[in-house]
Amino acid sequence: MTADRTNWRDHDWQLIRGEPVPVVLNHALDEVLVRRVGHGERSPTLRFWDRQGPEIVLGRFQSVRNEVQVENTTADGIEVNRRITGGGAMFVEPQNAVTYSIYAPADLVKGLGFADSYAFLDEWVIEGLRSLGIDAWYEPINDITSSGGKIGGAAQARRHGAVLHHVTMAYDMAPESLPKYLRIGQEKLSDKGITSANRRVGPLRLQTQMERLDIIEHLIGTFRERHGLTPGQITEDEMQEAEELVRTQFGTEEWRFLLP
Amino acid sequence: MYHGEYKTVGGKLVIVDFDIVNDQLTNVSVSGDFFLEPAEALEQINRAIEGFPVAVSQEILATAILDALDPGVEMIGFSPEAVAIAVRRGIDGV
Repeated sequence: MTADRTNWRDHDWQLIRGEPVPVVLNHALDEVLVRRVGHGERSPTLRFWDRQGPEIVLGRFQSVRNEVQVENTTADGIEVNRRITGGGAMFVEPQNAVTYSIYAPADLVKGLGFADSYAFLDEWVIEGLRSLGIDAWYEPINDITSSGGKIGGAAQARRHGAVLHHVTMAYDMAPESLPKYLRIGQEKLSDKGITSANRRVGPLRLQTQMERLDIIEHLIGTFRERHGLTPGQITEDEMQEAEELVRTQFGTEEWRFLLP
Repeated sequence: MYHGEYKTVGGKLVIVDFDIVNDQLTNVSVSGDFFLEPAEALEQINRAIEGFPVAVSQEILATAILDALDPGVEMIGFSPEAVAIAVRRGIDGV
């Protein structure tokens, strides 16, 4: 099974430091970049995101009415987006989150089960967080946690012969906003009496006292040391394709309300 | 509109919304914070539940969902049984 699995060092990893973009464009970029890596048109890539505004992000399989208090997001002008990976809803503010995507050829995780592939693709992050003094570990399937509280969550989609693996970590908290925008059902509360959305969180700022951009630099350094990393950028062609996908898919009501 | 929820051992929430017409399940929509590969398999799950009588057992529903999936479909963080429990709860109003 593992005979044709490749190693991180078999690939020429490229780094994209995203400029802040309209929030919906990030989701289209994920689709464009994972497809291009899968088709061999781009080197395997690590992209750190930035956002021009806040957003609610739904998992691919979540329904809007079951997860979102639409009357409140509409009143406050909060965009509701749907990503192409599964997992749970989040309310994300640009200054309070660290988000990255890994676009890897499928052979990097060949033979690994889904749960194992999550932990495998984030080993470098666990190492990076530990070297900042956080006792971080992976909690299957897709949580990054610590004794100071949950730090973040990962989600994957396999498509076009590649894996999209993206992670959002809490840098700082705006806990009062959560009940306002997200619905928390009774069943969700039944586990441990708390919810995934507001389960005790251990934001990175609280745990490190570091600036957000310094943490990102540190994590990039960890990736570079472990796996190698060359500065790169989103090409004009890729950006145009992503903008077109916002028009035809990610920005449409059909996609946002795919599961109404 | 009927609504059932079930939280799996791993913590993922499975939700099923549906209507009941002539004692049969219809307009079935499974949703939640689980993972599914490929994503399009969600329709296979919905269709597998569609049309069953309200008296259907959890076991029969779970088997029908499993049988409806193409080979190679991966349900991650949930299972046919988890969906079946959510459906039964929706029918029973618990």
